[in-house]
Amino acid sequence: MRTHRTTKLFAAALAAAALAPAALAEEEIRIGACQPITGRFAFAGVNINAGLQDYLSWANEQGLVKGKKLTYIYEDSGYDTDKAVATFKKIMAQYSPVIMYGESTGLGKAIAPELNSRYKVLYASASFSSELADPKTHPYSFVSGPTYSDMFGILLDYIARNPKGKGKPRVAFFYSDTEFGKDPIAHAKKRAAELGVEVVAEIVTKVGAVDVTTEVLTLKKAQPDFVIFQGYVLAPIPEVIRGARDHGLATTFMGTFWSVDKSIIDKLGQDAEGYMGVNPYAYYYEDAPGIVAMRKYNERVHPGEKYRPNSYIQGWFTGMVYVEAIRRVVAAGKPVTGDNLKDALGTIQDWDTGGVTGKVNFVNNKAGVGRVYRANVQKGVFEPASDWIYVK
Amino acid sequence: MLIGNYKESYAADEALFRTPAVRAWMGVLAVALVVFPFLAGDYLLYLANLVGVLAIAALGLNILTGFTGQISLGHAAFMGVGAYTTAFLAARLGLPFWIAVPAGGAGACLAGMVVGVPSLRIKGLYLAIATLAAQVVAEWVFTNWTAVTGGIRGLNVPAARLLGFPFDTDRRIYFFIVGLAALHATFASNLFRTRIGRAFIAVRDRDLSAELMGVNLFRTKILSFMISSYYAGIAGGLWVYFTKVVTPENFPLSLSIQFLAMVIVGGLGSVKGTLYGAVFVTLVPEVLKAGTQSLRPLFPEAMSWLYPLRDILFGAMIVGFLVFEPHGLAEMWNRTKRFFALWPFEK
Repeated sequence: MRTHRTTKLFAAALAAAALAPAALAEEEIRIGACQPITGRFAFAGVNINAGLQDYLSWANEQGLVKGKKLTYIYEDSGYDTDKAVATFKKIMAQYSPVIMYGESTGLGKAIAPELNSRYKVLYASASFSSELADPKTHPYSFVSGPTYSDMFGILLDYIARNPKGKGKPRVAFFYSDTEFGKDPIAHAKKRAAELGVEVVAEIVTKVGAVDVTTEVLTLKKAQPDFVIFQGYVLAPIPEVIRGARDHGLATTFMGTFWSVDKSIIDKLGQDAEGYMGVNPYAYYYEDAPGIVAMRKYNERVHPGEKYRPNSYIQGWFTGMVYVEAIRRVVAAGKPVTGDNLKDALGTIQDWDTGGVTGKVNFVNNKAGVGRVYRANVQKGVFEPASDWIYVK
Repeated sequence: MLIGNYKESYAADEALFRTPAVRAWMGVLAVALVVFPFLAGDYLLYLANLVGVLAIAALGLNILTGFTGQISLGHAAFMGVGAYTTAFLAARLGLPFWIAVPAGGAGACLAGMVVGVPSLRIKGLYLAIATLAAQVVAEWVFTNWTAVTGGIRGLNVPAARLLGFPFDTDRRIYFFIVGLAALHATFASNLFRTRIGRAFIAVRDRDLSAELMGVNLFRTKILSFMISSYYAGIAGGLWVYFTKVVTPENFPLSLSIQFLAMVIVGGLGSVKGTLYGAVFVTLVPEVLKAGTQSLRPLFPEAMSWLYPLRDILFGAMIVGFLVFEPHGLAEMWNRTKRFFALWPFEK
């Protein structure tokens, strides 16, 4: 009799043990990330990781997803595609998250076949490559903001509306011979023609090339009103701007996401005067409610951090999209799976982000919104030069 | 305890695996390699495939650098040529993998022949710089010859198929990769028992003496370049079917240097050393990462400097190898074996 009871108890305990993880798993939503915390993209990776992690903890604190806990699992992937794919598979095998974050365009492309056929998880990355926002080839991945092509579209839109003098605005594209540099150029040329903006020069260089004498002379000959940089983070942007100023060019220089961080003003010094660029997100020092909440969280949790760069806000915003998609799936009473999350993403229209960015509409797996900013050297900050500009 | 190794026939003398113990261990290894994919998870399988592909390419570099004494900084470029040849044939012309992969090897082989030409006139560091040029030119071609290479976006390649059976998962392609790696390792081991292989070694040890002995220097060096690049090309072709996409950013100079690291850590002029080197250079950073990862609960805020620590540690290990065991892992293994050959007795 006694033995019988013990067996029963034992069986019950076993059953409880077997059920416990299942019950827990229901409560927990796992988000995995391959972050470039080392390697040549670490300058951004560390911040993207911090931003994403902070947003998810903030969302947990606020109880944004009722009855569920968001768990963030990240590993360093070193900005090396092979290592990143290994890391991706490792996290998938170990934790089977429903959402993943990836470090680069390269990882997005390499993982795509298996993401579409096997893993089927919602995927975002540090990349703004238009290739990853193609719902046909990359149905599970999205770009958390506008693509580089969209950013060019926003800048060209601004140029067309704010020309210098009479006649067609003259613009030059200055880009690196990398995937990052060339990605938006074809679209940009098409868009310029549509908007009546004349592309007077296209200059291609290596990344970080310091001798830009010939390139500056080309600019002098072409006399563009605007020059848009793409595919650089810093070098050779300061060299080109300084060279152009030495030759007395009155050209306005512009950059896309990676070259409009506040730090570029510090690096350029006086030469930053008049420098412009497109940023999909608001800056850390702006007073939009979403940004204020972010600052308050940082003051409380990381009192040492006085400033957060754009890449931090990129990570934070990606977290916002993840959570919004999860909330929509949960609200619809569906299980939180990659497929449902992917479908929920498409329903995000006119979404108010509290001013972290403009109104968000997910069309073609990206949110085509951004704002043009102008550097204010005295204050050392970028200030809005336009309202939020929307592109398709 | 083994006290001697007597051979009673020419066949025994010519055998690749000479003692029963070695044959038994090779059998164990073969069984382990066949069983492994059924036990390993996605992550380990992926790493195993990566090691397999890189090992084939590193074998090629060891033939050139370790056995023939010609330093090359362009090995990744040859792998790229092979990869793009394979990808072009598979993606654009729809040829099956059993044509596309050997064609990748052949394409790289031709590229190696051209790049090898200056080796008759220049040696050592000068040759290294000449091959560096090949690396730069290849990267430029990959990026800009859009009609063939697909430019910066590269080419997407369908999974390999044999009689309608797709090699689309890591587990399936594993057999393909390990099979070819074993084949190429055996070929390399046998190569140095032939006249050609001996000529390579003679050129490495003293090219003038080799020429006096009747070795045609030009032919030998070019042949070494060709075989070496062929290996890289095959690795590139396999890599394409393994990753299903190829872009110019996949074959940077740092990969060429990584191959040199494999060959040096493993042991210059040693086939099995190359395999150890490929395993070491690929897996040790992962192990170190797992180590730093396990420290995370203790230092949750410190990951941004704990992760780079791994790279520093890895660098220190390579320096350690060069200082304490310049002949690489292969020699360490041999010493261990010699120690146990007499153990527990002492010399």
